[in-house]
Parts: sequence; C-alpha cells; structure tokens
Amino acid sequence: MIQDRSIASLRQGETATITGYRSNEIPIKVYEMGLLPGQVLTLTHRLPFKGPICVRIKDNPNAIALRIAEADMILVESA
Amino acid sequence: MTAITIALVGNPNVGKSTLFNQLTGLRQKAGNYPGVTVEKKTGTFMHRDIKYEVIDLPGAYGIHPSSLDEEVVYRVLIDPENALYPEKVIVVGDPFNLQRSVLLYQQIREMGLPAIFVINMIDEAERAGLSIDVAEIEKVLSTRVILTDARSGKGIEALRDALQYQPGTYTPSFRIPEEYAAPVSRVKASIGIQQDYRAWLYLSQKHNRHLSPEHAAEVHAIRETHGINYHRLQIKETLERFTDLDRRLATAVRDTTKKSENFSARLDKLLIHPLWGYVIFFTLLLLIFQAIYTWSGPFMDAIDIGFAWLASNTAELLPVGPINGLITDGIIAGIGGIVIFIPQIAILFIFISIMEESGYMSRVVYLMDRWLKPFGLSGKSAVPLMSGAACAIPAVMSARTIENDKERLITILVTPFMTCSARLPIYIVIIGLVIPETKLFGLDLQGLVLFGMYVLGIVAALGSAWVLKHLMKTTYKSFLILEMPTYKYPVIRNVLLNVWDKTLGFVVGAGKIILAISVILWVLGSFGVHERFTNAEEIVRAENPELEGEEFDNRVQSEQLEYSFLGAMGRTIEPVIEPLGYDWKMGIGLISSFAAREVFVSTMATVYSLGGTDDELTIRERMASEINQNTGRPAYNFASGISLLLFYAFAMQCMSTIAIVRRETNSWKWTFIQLAFMTGVAYLAALFAYQFLK
Repeated sequence: MIQDRSIASLRQGETATITGYRSNEIPIKVYEMGLLPGQVLTLTHRLPFKGPICVRIKDNPNAIALRIAEADMILVESA
Repeated sequence: MTAITIALVGNPNVGKSTLFNQLTGLRQKAGNYPGVTVEKKTGTFMHRDIKYEVIDLPGAYGIHPSSLDEEVVYRVLIDPENALYPEKVIVVGDPFNLQRSVLLYQQIREMGLPAIFVINMIDEAERAGLSIDVAEIEKVLSTRVILTDARSGKGIEALRDALQYQPGTYTPSFRIPEEYAAPVSRVKASIGIQQDYRAWLYLSQKHNRHLSPEHAAEVHAIRETHGINYHRLQIKETLERFTDLDRRLATAVRDTTKKSENFSARLDKLLIHPLWGYVIFFTLLLLIFQAIYTWSGPFMDAIDIGFAWLASNTAELLPVGPINGLITDGIIAGIGGIVIFIPQIAILFIFISIMEESGYMSRVVYLMDRWLKPFGLSGKSAVPLMSGAACAIPAVMSARTIENDKERLITILVTPFMTCSARLPIYIVIIGLVIPETKLFGLDLQGLVLFGMYVLGIVAALGSAWVLKHLMKTTYKSFLILEMPTYKYPVIRNVLLNVWDKTLGFVVGAGKIILAISVILWVLGSFGVHERFTNAEEIVRAENPELEGEEFDNRVQSEQLEYSFLGAMGRTIEPVIEPLGYDWKMGIGLISSFAAREVFVSTMATVYSLGGTDDELTIRERMASEINQNTGRPAYNFASGISLLLFYAFAMQCMSTIAIVRRETNSWKWTFIQLAFMTGVAYLAALFAYQFLK
C-alpha cells in the first residue's frame, strides 16, 4: 500500500518526497521540470471533477500543474 | 560588415524575451523559420564597433523536444548547415531553477557550440534572499557567467561586453554509457561527424528532420539493430545530468533566509481556487469584451469620421464615374473598414499580452484543461481560442505550444470558427439592416444578436472539435505538465511591442488583400465581351425608349455591370446561392470575400456604385435600398440577412487563414478538409435558415 502512493493520492496541503516512477514511458518533461526522486513537494490545489492538480517543489517559487494521469505515475512517500 | 550571429536560448519563464528586447530594442523583426512553422524573432545591435544579430529561439526545457517550439531549438542548434546556426549561444537561466538551465547549457556545449551563461531575475533572487556564487558557477560551467535583471536593464552592458569572450575547452559532463558506445560510433562513422554527443542526440531523437533521408534511415537502422528506445536514452541522460549537477551545484545558490509563503502562492489560493478561480476568470473575460467595445468606441468613431471625410473629399476631386467609385467606395472605404478594427484588436492583444506577461495565462490553461479535454483539446488550446476572437492568424500560430499533435491539430482546425474582428463589419451592417432596433427584456435586441453570434462561434468550435476527436486516431498520449511561474508586473515595453507586431501584421496583411481585390473587382466590373455590355446604350434605348437623363444612365450602367466579367461570375454561381436567398450581386461579394471576410461590405459598395451613378448614398443606405431581382423583395431582408450571418459565422472566408493553416499543419489534406467542412456547414446552415424563414 505504502509503495503505491502517487502524487495523485496526496491530500491537499500534504507534503511528500518523490521516490520513483510507475513506468519508464512517462514524458521527458516530467524530468525536465525537476520532478525527480528525492525532491520534496506539496500538493497545493485540486480542481473539481478530477481536473489537474497543482504542486509546489520545496524552495521553488514556481508551481507545476499536472493532470491526474501524469500525477499518478510519480510515486511518493510521506515526508 | 557581417554580423556575428548569436542565439538566445533558455527555459520558458526566465525572462528571455525581456532580455531580447533589452538587447535589440526596436531593431527587431518577426518572421518564420525556414521549413518549420514557428514564429522567429531576430534583432541586431552594435557594440564596440561589432555588429551582432540575435535570434530569439523559443523557450525549451532541454534539447530533447516535446513540442514543435522545442523542436525548432534542436533543429537550429544541431545542424551547422542551418541558415540560423549561431556562432555563439547565450543560455539564459533563473536563479530558482539553476540546475534545469545548466542542463540545457551543458547539452549545448556538448553539441560543440560556444556559449556564455546568464542568470536573469537577480532582483527577484535578492528579494527572496538568495546568494549566488558566480565564481563557483563559472568554474562548473567553464564559461563566463553574467548576472542580469532584464526588467530594470541591470547587467545588460556587462552581457554585451561578455559577447567577445571565447569560452575555453569544455569537458563533457555526460559520458556516453558503455552499452551505447557501439551504436554511437556507428552513427559517427555513417554520418561523418566528430562529437560523440551529437551521435547520441541523433540516436535519442524521434525525428532527425535535418538529416538527408538516407542518413535518417541509417540512424533508424542502427537504432533497430541495437534495440534502442529513444525515449529511454533521453530519460537516462536527463537523470544522470541532474544527479551530477545536484552534487556540483550544491553550494552555488544559497538560501540565506527562512522565507514565509511567497506572494504568488497566496495569490494562487484565490486565482486557481476551485470555485473563485473560475468566477474570476469569467468575470475577467466579460470585462475584457466589455472594454473592447466601450474603449474602442471613441477611436472607431474618429476613424470612421476621418475616412468618411477622406472619401467625400476624394470623390469631389475626381471626375464622376466608376473610377471614382473604385477609389472612394472600394479602396478608401475598404482600407477604412480594416483600420477601424485596429482599436479592438489592439485592446484585445493588450489584455492577452498582460495575461501572458503577468503569469496569469498559465493559470487559465490550468483552469480550462478539464473543460477542454472532453472536446479533444488541451488547456493550452484556451490561448488560441481566446486570441481567435481578434484574428485567427496569430491565434493559429499560438497553438504551437501544444505538445500533443492531435490536440494541436484540432485546435488549429477549430480556431477559425471563433468570431474574429473581420466578421464584425458584416455582422454589424447586416444586423443593422435586418434586426429591428427594439428592446428585449430591457436589453438592446441588436446587441443580443451580436452576442449570440459570439456564442455561436464558440459552440461551433467546440462542437467540431468534439466531432474531430472521434474521427481522428492518435499514436501520442495526451499530457499536461505545465509550469506556472510567479506572478510579475507586466513589462510595458514587452506588451507594447507584442501589440504592435500583431496589429501591424493584421493591418498590412488585410490591407494588401483589400487593395488588390478592389482593383481586380473594378477591372472585372468595367470590362466585358458580351454584346449587351459593348452595345449597352443602344440596347437599353431600343428596349426602353421612354427613359432619359439620369434614369437612362443608371439603366445603362447596371446593364453593363450585369454583362461584365464580374457580372458573369456572379450569375454563374447564382443557381447555387439562390436557395440561400442571395442574388448574383451578393454572389460577387461572396466570391471576393473568399479572400477575406471584411471585403464583403466594400465589395457590395463597389458593385452597387458600379451599377449606378448616385454617389451620395452611404454603403448602408445603398444596401438597404437594393432590391433582389429574383424575388422582388429587398436584397437584405430578415431571411436572407440571417442566412448571410450564418454563412459568415461558419464559412472559411479568409485566404490568410488558409495559408497559415497550411503552413502550421504542413498538410494540404487537413487544410482542404477544414475548408470543405467549414464552408459546407456554412452553406447548409444558411440554406436551412433561409428556407425556413422566407
């Protein structure tokens, strides 16, 4: 259960550390944006009807928006 | 003196365009990259007697492209044969995402290009309490590092000075993994290149469009024999570089303060709130459109009066006759019909630029993604659709940031349904002629109909997107990964430059067409080979011996028009358009406005003035008094008016849009499908409306 947590399962305001990815086939942009193993991030917003989510990486002023499908490919553990 | 070519490269949202504007000022021009379809900006400046030409490349997160924008960066930098291949590169980064920018820098150096590194937005970094160790970064990057704040102009002189710096030897930080050594050397041998990293890039790209077909096939074959998945190569390289940079840049940027939650995060609590975010966005949209109409009012009135004055003075100066009509009603009125929309287009683009500059536009993408996805679009389609309300040409071009090919194509195909400024002159004139000036529930009925036309445009765009989504198959997965930068005050200079570019493009493009069409119409309308054209006077005299004076002249002129080349064209298509409620004169309008919608009104003016000698009437009055010879009713009655409105709402009556769609999709097939689909829908809608209402 713990191993299977992804960004998509975070509660609003919850902080977690990226541990890895569910698949090798995820867009290169995920990496380029800095969503890398070891990074600590907080889920700051959700939109209704399974709309995209918004996360902030620790110490980075910019936010990143992801669809649930992408967020679900990035695995995390609670910080 | 030849200029030194410099490419400006960097991640999105690092202030690269502001830096470009600071370096080149107004000495810049927009164009298109040869062979690809992305807007390019170049500019020149002199510094210490050396001339520099700067190319502003689109923002990219890394050298591996995931959108058309990013592919341009790869293609310009990978190919020494490319006309834009730079002699030096300026890589722009921001202090908050230094590693990401350095990653791009390393890739560029390892391709064999000399580069210097700029850290922009240092004022923001200072406010956030970051301290930057320039010496340390210079050591890691082995090049000159310059700190700038492009918004205030800080560091720009230092950057200009640094352009003469020649970076020393560079040791690649990414080592080609052992297991790929064999394919890499095979690529090097078969293409004839020196650097390992270039060969690695060839292997790790889906497309290598700059290579000859034979070379591309060889690279593909090498990939096949070694069982290489290009995507894995990209991921491997990116992860390795980041791991290395984590270590090497660990002490380069230090956070000296414990900061509280930043301003942007607090503002986002409201602006992307699940409820208030939408309320604010739609209120803003409403205000923008309100402003477009109210603010532009005085300007439009002034332009209207100015052109009317010009037309009447010119009409008095020139001798009475068709050439007078050509210049006053055709050319002057036609150009006036374009110029009058400058205020609206400029105001819309001011708002759009401010939304982009401030960082709000990326929030719009975030908010709208969920609602556009069911239609086969992406949140990023919101920008082209909104710009489409001004003009489809820049709107179609702005779709290039959409990564997914299918979503991008659908966006391009449906954006021309949005109500652009060119439809307005037709809507306003026709609504004025056929919709009564009454109130409905206290609201102006004519205004309501105009609003309805905008809604119709949106419905048509989304509806056809939904249809296309089901018709098209895709091999690409759709995704949305979007950076939402901190909110910033818009730089006025950037906003004004952008508005200037877009407005000028519209005016020059449309103006040329109007001018050409007016002259062509006049020639076609003034000559003919038919007997009833060449001998019009005798025939009219023989058939109507009772006519004399002005009445006789009028009859001769309209006879000549009907049997001129232009009249022949109109009468040829008359059987097709008669069921829609139009006569052959309106047919001429339809044909000529295929070039651009806004031409319709000025064409009708030319046609009606060619057919009569009365020069005192305005276009509106002429149209109101025109009788359809087939039905004997006014040419612009309720049924034919609604039919015309629907026709122009849907039909692809714009050559410039067709040209831009062809260029952006790189496909004649889709361009023709779009043309046939839009015009087909327009014809059917107009047909049903007229037959039902007549």
